[in-house]
Amino acid sequence: MKTWQQWAYHGCRLGLGGLFLYAGLLKADDVPAFAGQIAAYRLLPYQVNYLLAATLPYVEILAGGLLLANRHIRPASLLLAAMTLVFIVALLSVIARGFEIDCGCFGPHDSSTPQQALLRDLGLLVLAHFTFHLRNQCVARKGV
Amino acid sequence: MNNHFDFSEMPRILLEAVLILSLGITVGLAVNHRLVTDLLEGNVVAPQVATDAVPAGIELLPLPVDIATVQSALTSGSVLLDARISELFNEEHISGARSFPLDEADTLIPALMEELPPEASLITYCNGYGCPDSYALGVKLLAAGFRNVAVFEGGIPEWRDAGLPIEGEK
Repeated sequence: MKTWQQWAYHGCRLGLGGLFLYAGLLKADDVPAFAGQIAAYRLLPYQVNYLLAATLPYVEILAGGLLLANRHIRPASLLLAAMTLVFIVALLSVIARGFEIDCGCFGPHDSSTPQQALLRDLGLLVLAHFTFHLRNQCVARKGV
Repeated sequence: MNNHFDFSEMPRILLEAVLILSLGITVGLAVNHRLVTDLLEGNVVAPQVATDAVPAGIELLPLPVDIATVQSALTSGSVLLDARISELFNEEHISGARSFPLDEADTLIPALMEELPPEASLITYCNGYGCPDSYALGVKLLAAGFRNVAVFEGGIPEWRDAGLPIEGEK
């Protein structure tokens, strides 16, 4: 693995992990408010909104923390990529239905529009992709 | 860049991803066990937010409540507001509800604010999950200064299907 690839790998890993850890901490701080923001998407029954609000931030914190700690990189980045894909589908449905809501991606005080959040999520998906594949280069080189 | 990926590793990677997901969910449920218990018992209602706790420019959103919560809230003095047009309200409405059409909200809200304190518990409803008016009314009520606003998303159809009291000309 070349030096620039190592720098790119660590940059992607730290960027992705840091963003999800930050987003998870903000959302975990006010679960009812986050439940209200999920409810604004009008996709799920109210009980599921609360359950998602209670659990999703901790999955983000855990996966983000693992990326920052350089542990279980491929499973964590794969999980975050899958979650980001789900977020993208939810945002597309909001845009298609013409709702003007705050995305809630970074807690109750995040006032990003769905369009802005969609662009950000596409960026996160790219970060997750490179984190996963650059980690593969490391693993292949080390033979582990 | 060598892009060869050893797919024999994929099952292990997927398994670890599922384990991370499961652990995160478990931690989330454990940390929020009180909320989850209240949720299972149908006791979760919209949180009260102090006026000075709301930063400028932040839109408050009403939280959804289920049918059991509406029933218990009505017995404890909550006000149920029907967001549909008055013709539909006259045909049928939940017993004890007030007509509060979304189209007339801007004129009706000032009168309601004179009648009720900001911390009054309000629940809006309309014609079920496909109807956005109750949610839009909830947003308006919160924006006007009410601090305890919830939405009964099941609305008239769920209430009727549950065999609960309905009033009206029908």
